[in-house]
Amino acid sequence: MADIKIEHLHKEFGLGEDKVVALEDVNLEISGSVFVSIVGPSGCGKSTLLNIMSQIESPTSGVVSITQGGREAMRGYVFQAARLLPWRTVMDNLLFVQEDPGDSVTKERCQRYLDMVQLGDKGDKYPGELSGGMQQRVGIARAFSVEPDVLFMDEPFSHLDAITARTLRRELHEMWKATGKTIVFVTHDVGEAVELSNRILVFSKGGQLEDDMAIDLPFPRDPSDEAVAVSKAQVLRKFEELDLVAT
Amino acid sequence: MAVASAKMPSPRSRGGLVRFLKSPVFARILFPIAVLIFWYASIGAVRAVWPFAVDVLPLPQEVAGAMWDEIIDPFVEGIQAATRTNVYLTFLTSLFRLGVGFLIAMVLGTLLGLAMGLSRAVDAFWHDWVMAILAMPALGWALFLSLIFGFGHTTPILAVILTGIPFVIVNVREGVRNTPRELFDMAQAFGVTRNKTTRHVLIPAMMPFFFAAVRYAFSIGWKGLVIAEVFGGQDGAGWTIKFWYDAHRAHGVVGYAFFFVIFALALEKLVFERWSRHVFKWRPDHGAVEAVEQAFEVAGVAGTIGTAAYVTGVDFEEFEDEGIQ
Repeated sequence: MADIKIEHLHKEFGLGEDKVVALEDVNLEISGSVFVSIVGPSGCGKSTLLNIMSQIESPTSGVVSITQGGREAMRGYVFQAARLLPWRTVMDNLLFVQEDPGDSVTKERCQRYLDMVQLGDKGDKYPGELSGGMQQRVGIARAFSVEPDVLFMDEPFSHLDAITARTLRRELHEMWKATGKTIVFVTHDVGEAVELSNRILVFSKGGQLEDDMAIDLPFPRDPSDEAVAVSKAQVLRKFEELDLVAT
Repeated sequence: MAVASAKMPSPRSRGGLVRFLKSPVFARILFPIAVLIFWYASIGAVRAVWPFAVDVLPLPQEVAGAMWDEIIDPFVEGIQAATRTNVYLTFLTSLFRLGVGFLIAMVLGTLLGLAMGLSRAVDAFWHDWVMAILAMPALGWALFLSLIFGFGHTTPILAVILTGIPFVIVNVREGVRNTPRELFDMAQAFGVTRNKTTRHVLIPAMMPFFFAAVRYAFSIGWKGLVIAEVFGGQDGAGWTIKFWYDAHRAHGVVGYAFFFVIFALALEKLVFERWSRHVFKWRPDHGAVEAVEQAFEVAGVAGTIGTAAYVTGVDFEEFEDEGIQ
């Protein structure tokens, strides 16, 4: 579990007339074992925020602090596409991101997470031998295998078919429940956000944090439940109020 | 075209025959047979109208005889008595030069290609020079270098380096530029060290380009070496080809050219292909070639059967009419 503190975060791309503001004065605090979803229209800076938090990109200005008990927090990342190394086996892909890949404890841990995503027997396969859903499962196992304090997920199920995505959402929820990580999840699917999250952050096209909504519903959530449908409608109404629909 | 309908094989064997005619094995066998037929036909025709062509246009068996003489010469005459045109000594000399030049071209070319791929300033500095070296013909290098360094090892080794190195530089640079950015981002997101990222992301991602560099540098360097030995050598395979040329013995020239081909094919099969299979064993085999062949089934069958019919004189259209795949 990590403590995330973001103050006056600002991010721009390009110079002069080509300048684009991706994030504008974002202030945010996330802590504990929470599942936070970031939603908003395309180009609202969702992925940029995640990339800054995971240190892939640096901010133009502002402060981002992600700590765990006073030390810098361990981070894991699940990408939109699995981003596996095609020349390494599934197990070697997990070992690649470990600090001590030769250690037997590390290998056992990687195997445990492969088992959790039901790919325990695929460790010696190459990514090219797996389906898209299986590759994304490996991506999830890789992110959990570093035992991160915080896990960033950037639309991890958007490339998958509806049935596979639903199965993986359930598996992800089980893993979150079992490990208690802080998860920051970017999605453009409001239903997905409502099904998985405690909190939903709504961003506008200009990269501003417009709303911070709590979803106080018991887990596991079924998308066909009335309460879930009502929450989804509330979020969509917020989109309409902010004029974010169909942008 | 002759029709073989009277002796048509049974459907099962006919299907097998068509499959064999469409197979890469048949295509591989067909090529040398076609070359031999063309060779005999064209030389025979020229000799028929110009008998003096016997000296300059050898038949396959005359070339094979010259090659065999070269192969057994040291065993018949004894190593001491063997001349410097002996195939073993000449190839040993040339391979030594090729090996040294190739190694230097690979090392320097890889380092420079990496630097140019990683830095736009370094690329801007070297780009035009690399293109200039690339544009220089091997013959130009051979004459220029032999004027400076005279006869010996230096001229052919430098010719190998200068003809091969631009291909290494260009391929390695493109390899660096084509490494997928998202994999570097992934490594960075997980805090993987730069050293580990270089070894496990950059280098493997570059391997297809590196292999292209090895193959190009080897084949182009090989040609540069031969030209340098022809014009600036006292020994070696290129010099020996020139020796046979001066002696007006075409079978020696063609025979040595075949030694080159055999060596290049052996190296491709025994080293490059095996190495490539080992390095790229992760690539999924989705049967892409088979899928393309299936998609163009009609054209493929027509092409293969057309070729086979032309060579064998058998009309295979009837096989197709019966729906044999």
